[in-house]
Amino acid sequence: MDKFILNVIHRPELVPEYINTDALEGQKEEVGKGEVVSESLDIFRLQQEIAHQNGIRCTIQMTYASLFNEEAIALAKADHEKYGDEIGHTFLGVQCKEFREKYHSKELAVWLLPWDMKTRLVHDTFARFNEVFGFYPTSTGSYFMDAELINYIKKHYPMVKIAVAACFEEGPKVFRHTNNTWYTLLDGGPWTAWVPSKKCSHAIAENAEDDSGIVAVPHLSRDLLGVMDNAGDMFGTHPQNIIRGLAYEDDRLPFMYNLVDQYQVMKKYNKGFSYNLVYVGPGWMGKSGRWECSYRVLKKSYEDFLGYYGELKKAGKVEDMTMTEFSDWYRHNKAINEPICGLWKDTLFGTKNQCFWYADSQFRIQVDLKLGGAITDIRPYASKLERPCGAGTPANQDASYPYIVHSRYRGGPFTHYAGEGAIKSAKIRHGSEEVDLSACRSTGRYEEGEGYRRLIVNPVEIEFNALTVKIGTSYTFWENTGRIEITRKVLEMSDPAEIVEIDEYLTSCWGTNEYPEDLTGCTLSVTGRDGLRNELNYEYRCRDLHAEAVQKVEAIIPMVQTKASMTPMSDDCRGYCEEGYSFAPNLKIGLVRTVGLGGELNVTFKIERA
Amino acid sequence: MAQGRTGKINYRCPHCLFRAIDYDLLYDRNADQYYCRRCNWEGSEMEILADYSVYKQQYRHMLKRWTVDSIIAKDE
Repeated sequence: MDKFILNVIHRPELVPEYINTDALEGQKEEVGKGEVVSESLDIFRLQQEIAHQNGIRCTIQMTYASLFNEEAIALAKADHEKYGDEIGHTFLGVQCKEFREKYHSKELAVWLLPWDMKTRLVHDTFARFNEVFGFYPTSTGSYFMDAELINYIKKHYPMVKIAVAACFEEGPKVFRHTNNTWYTLLDGGPWTAWVPSKKCSHAIAENAEDDSGIVAVPHLSRDLLGVMDNAGDMFGTHPQNIIRGLAYEDDRLPFMYNLVDQYQVMKKYNKGFSYNLVYVGPGWMGKSGRWECSYRVLKKSYEDFLGYYGELKKAGKVEDMTMTEFSDWYRHNKAINEPICGLWKDTLFGTKNQCFWYADSQFRIQVDLKLGGAITDIRPYASKLERPCGAGTPANQDASYPYIVHSRYRGGPFTHYAGEGAIKSAKIRHGSEEVDLSACRSTGRYEEGEGYRRLIVNPVEIEFNALTVKIGTSYTFWENTGRIEITRKVLEMSDPAEIVEIDEYLTSCWGTNEYPEDLTGCTLSVTGRDGLRNELNYEYRCRDLHAEAVQKVEAIIPMVQTKASMTPMSDDCRGYCEEGYSFAPNLKIGLVRTVGLGGELNVTFKIERA
Repeated sequence: MAQGRTGKINYRCPHCLFRAIDYDLLYDRNADQYYCRRCNWEGSEMEILADYSVYKQQYRHMLKRWTVDSIIAKDE
């Protein structure tokens, strides 16, 4: 397969989020103000023209407000007729006079509405769509749609095949970036197309029974390295977002082309398939400019961006589809639980930094190569957490899928003064000296085979006082099993007669943001090869358990219904678990093996539902 | 003191930008000065632009074009 597919989506949003804020500066709010509506439709028309000039077909996502606007309806019908654009639906852009009168709410986010209003809006807007166009939409979307909303739509409108169901890594970092006012707390989902689970839309479905019946796509295609320590809203297939991040000079934004090209490279890691979604709301191309940037540059950046896709299309390197066409293609060519992965390289910050992302129905994993290939983010999809969001639910605005490791939110390899941060790494010991592999910067290579994807971390050299050791690491992800085989091998030693200790460990916790959550009730256990299992219940008492010959170490985090375990492949390993304390609110499990030159520690790291 | 208004160009606070917060500045006509309502920054347009150029230094490859082939070849 050699397929790079593009979805371009435009929406006639009559009260665009940003443009309206600008228009209302110093004025009393007036929803649907004439000049705002007119400008917004002009921008929509312009976006459509730019796409068509470049031979790209679009999906027009009709907003609630636009379903009451004759001009927007006529534009959609005309472009459908002339260019074959799909007329789809979105839950974005609900705010208008009709919505205010009917719902008496200023809520703009469908996923945050109380359930009764959500379901009412579904029927209301789908009925209106049918009244206007004479058919029901087959594509829909929002910034986020939880499983409950998707299931409800699919039950009542089974013709829906695809939805923009999340924004990749639009969570606490973006919230902070927006002065703590942009409530898209949606971390934890896939970065490219997936079939969402019926139980949880972030998670990739397990099988046909778990299939929600739609294909989900993220709101934009984002830079997988840029999002790790930055707000993702500056690094996506959205030129004006890149401008927001000031990664441009005059009207030059080479990074936007780099991003598209790196997504073409992603074919290498995904059996010849890659995907881009472009979705720029009209508020980003307002006549009065956006922040410091002039309208001229905003417009030119969009022309250049779609122009590049147009060139790629002419060269046969990208295929533009409508959303529904893409969902049909995906269903015919990809498995329900299709794993996704990518080795991503820095093309902006000027570093050697690389990261590797992997996701399937059991977990989403991020590996940071500059941390020696440490795992720095784990979302345990195996538990398929049922976490409905919106008013009236326990999660309310916090729609993220919880992590059990997040090295940036929760410390990682570097802590101030005490304790250990959340990370999955290994320590190498020689005598009284100890070095964590996360201190050894590296890069990676990719391999794949029947049922597995493998990341090989290029070997790193550790310098002890009297010994130099070269260590190789590999991760083998067995698809949809929840198992990762981790191998740490001593490749070279300055003194071949010496021995070192390899300590493969997981320091874990849970949460959706930077703050610690209660770990009381978690359990840690060490099972010896004799079958004896010792266990402790987490009470922040800094206790530990050990076994000299270990069969398995295990941690259960009931709050996220997750069990994480490590099993050695040899019988001469020691095992331990450590309870944290309140100033170091983590739990830790580890396996240790003493090895010489050529020796290795092989471990099966498993995430499963508890 | 005069009411702060959005300036002719809607600048963001450079110091808030450095800590990854987008926060619009207001302009004080009488003092011919921009100021931030969140942090303790105030200054001229020239100072904003100077800080922006410092901010951009994090993007050492901001003007570099990485193509499919060069990305594949990079550090492997």
